[in-house]
Amino acid sequence: MFEKVLQLFLNGLMAGAVLAVPAIGLTMIYAVLRFVNFAVAAHMAVGAFAGYMLNVWLGVPAPLAILGAFIGAGAVGIASDHVGLRRLRGQSALTLAIASIAVNIMIESTIRFFFGGSPRDYAIPLRRDWVIGAFKIGPQQFENVVIAVAAMAILFLFLAFTITGKAMRAVADNPMLADSKGIDPDRMSRLAIGIGMGLAGIGGMLVGLDTSIDPLVGFRAILSVFAAAVVGGLGSIPGAVVGGLAIGLAEELSLLALPATYKSAVGFLAIVIILTLRPQGLLGAKAGA
Amino acid sequence: MHKRLITRRSALLTGAGAIAAPFVVTTPGFGQTGPIKLAGLVSLTGSGSPFGPNSRVSHQAVVDQVNAAGGLLGRKLEYLAEDDQTNAEAGVRGARKLIDVDKVQAIMSVWASAVGSAVLPLCWENKVMMLAISAADTIAELPHQGYFVRTQPHTVLQAKQFAKFILAQNAKSAYLIMPQTPFTESVLKTIRADVEPKGVKVTTAVIDNKKNSFRSEIDEMVRANPEIFMMGGYVAENIVMAKDLFRANYKGKVMGFAYGVVPAFIDGAGKEAAEGIYSIADPSPAFDSTAYTKVKALLKKDQLDTFQCQAYDHANLAILSMAKGKDATGTGIRDNIRKISNTDGGTVVDNALDGLKLIAEGKEIKYSGASGPCKFADNGNIIEVAFRTAQVKDGKLVEVKM
Repeated sequence: MFEKVLQLFLNGLMAGAVLAVPAIGLTMIYAVLRFVNFAVAAHMAVGAFAGYMLNVWLGVPAPLAILGAFIGAGAVGIASDHVGLRRLRGQSALTLAIASIAVNIMIESTIRFFFGGSPRDYAIPLRRDWVIGAFKIGPQQFENVVIAVAAMAILFLFLAFTITGKAMRAVADNPMLADSKGIDPDRMSRLAIGIGMGLAGIGGMLVGLDTSIDPLVGFRAILSVFAAAVVGGLGSIPGAVVGGLAIGLAEELSLLALPATYKSAVGFLAIVIILTLRPQGLLGAKAGA
Repeated sequence: MHKRLITRRSALLTGAGAIAAPFVVTTPGFGQTGPIKLAGLVSLTGSGSPFGPNSRVSHQAVVDQVNAAGGLLGRKLEYLAEDDQTNAEAGVRGARKLIDVDKVQAIMSVWASAVGSAVLPLCWENKVMMLAISAADTIAELPHQGYFVRTQPHTVLQAKQFAKFILAQNAKSAYLIMPQTPFTESVLKTIRADVEPKGVKVTTAVIDNKKNSFRSEIDEMVRANPEIFMMGGYVAENIVMAKDLFRANYKGKVMGFAYGVVPAFIDGAGKEAAEGIYSIADPSPAFDSTAYTKVKALLKKDQLDTFQCQAYDHANLAILSMAKGKDATGTGIRDNIRKISNTDGGTVVDNALDGLKLIAEGKEIKYSGASGPCKFADNGNIIEVAFRTAQVKDGKLVEVKM
C-alpha cells in the first residue's frame, strides 16, 4: 500500500509540475488584466502544434521545439487578444471571460481546420520507465518536469531581476500607480498575454510529449489548470505553482479512495473547498488588501 | 329548443378554415416537392474523427451516383452533413438544425453511442429515420417507433467476442479498462458473466476520458499483472494507454475494440507501442461481396473500414426504401426498409442504381451491402454479423484466428 501511495505521489508531483506551467500563464494574465482568460486552453493546443510542426516537419529536437511552442503560442495570444478581446477592456470580468471562451473555440476550430481532429505524435523515441526500487519514473515525465521547472525559474528570474519584469509586477500590484510612474499599461498587458500564452503553449507541448496531441489537448486540461490557479490564488504566480502541484497530487491520490472516472471531479471539489474556506486561494492576496 | 345561430365569429372561423383547408390537406405534399434531403450526422472531430470524414464521402458518393442517373421518384437528392464532434450536446444541435431547418428525412451514420442516444428521440418525434452505427445496446430499447436501425452489432455482441477471446487464450486473469460511455456497464458485465464462471479472475476500472493521461490507472493495472488487458477506449485514449503500457514494459496480451485499434491508432501510438495489440469485435466488411468491390471503385480506395462500408449501406438503404414505398419521407424509409433488406426472395442488389431500376420495373429486391446482409430485427438491431479479429504486426493490422 505504501508503495502505491508513493508511486501515486510521484505521478501527482510530475503531473502537477506540468500543470503549473499553463496555470502560471492563466494567473499572470489575470494579475495584469483582471479577468480569467479561458483561451489558455486553445493556446496550449497552439503551442503543442507549433512544437509539432518544428519537431515533426522540420526535424527540430523536441527540447528546442518547446521554444517554438512558447513563441508560437505567445504570438497567437497577442494577436488573438488584439483582434478579439482588446476592444472589450473596461467591460466586466465576466464579459471578458465569456469572450475568451469564444476566442478559445475559434482558435481550436482553426487548428482542427488545418490539422484535423486525429491524435498526432511527436518524433521522439518511446522509452521504457526507469525502475528505482519499487517505483517507476518515465524518462519523458522526468524531462517534462525539468523543462517545466526551468521555464518557471526563467520566469521568476525575469520578474525579479529585469526592469520589464518589475514593471509588469508593478502593473499587477497597482495599475494606476504604475501608470503614474510612466509604465505603459498597454505594453505590459501585451507582454503579460504573450508570456502567459507562451507558457500555456509550453504546457500544451509538455502534455503532448507524454501523451499525444489533438486540437482539444488544452481543453481537456483547462479545468485542472483553472483549479490550480484558483487553489493557489488567482493572480499569484507562486500560488499557481503550489496550486498546480496540489491539484496534480489531489487528482492522482484520489485514486486511492475514488474510482478513476471521478478524477475530473477532484478539480471542482478543490475549487469549491478553497472558495469556501479561503476565497483568495492558498497564496493569493485578500481583495482590497 | 336549442337554436344554432350563425354568428359573425363562426362565419369568420368557417371562412378562414375554408381558405386554409387546401393548404392543410396538402401539407404532406410540401414535403414531396423540391430535393429529397438526406443527412449524415458524422464525427468530423473528437474521438470519431478518424471515421466521420470517410462516412461523409460514402454518403455523398451514393447521392451523386443516384442524382447522375436522374434522382429518386423524379426528384433530386440533396446531401447535408453536420459534425457531431463525437459529443452528445453538439450532436443534438446538429440534429436540430438538420431536422428543424433543413427538413431532412433521414439521419445517417451517427457513430458515437452517446450521440445516438441523445439524437434518436428527436428523430422519432419528427418522423425522421435514423440509420446508425452507434452500438450501445440500450439505444434499441428506446421507444423509437421503428425510426431506428443500425448496421453496427450492439455492444453486448461485441463484449461476447472479448469474452470468447479471453477464453480462447486460456487466460486466468483479465483486467478491463474502459472510459465512461453509455455501453461501458453492459460490456463489462457481459464479459464478467461469460468468463468468471470459467475461472477467470476479472478486474475492471472505468477511466475519466476527459483527462490527457491515464498513467496511474495503467500503473495500477500493471501492478495487478493480468494475463490479458482490455484497453477499451476510443483511438485517442488507446494511444495514451498503449504508450504507457510500453513504458511500463507490460508483457501480457492487449486487446481493444476494433474501432479503437485502427491505422490512426498505430500512427498515433507508434509501431513499437502498438505491436502485438489485438483488435477484437471488428464487424467485418463483406470483403468478398460485389458491394465491397464497388465501394472501393466508387471511392477510389484499396481498403475500406467497416464504418465507411456501413455509411455506404445507410445511403443505399434509405434511397431504396423510399423508392420501394414511393414515399420520400422518414416514415417511408421506416415502413419499407425491411421490405428491401429482410426478404428472402427478390433479386439481390448491392447498390442503389440497380435497385432503383428493378423497383421501377416492379420487381422485388433484396439489398445486401458492403458491410454485410443488412437484415434488421424489430428493435432495429442488425441480425447477421461476421466478426473478425486482427493483430498489429509490423505496424499493420493483420487478420488472425481467435
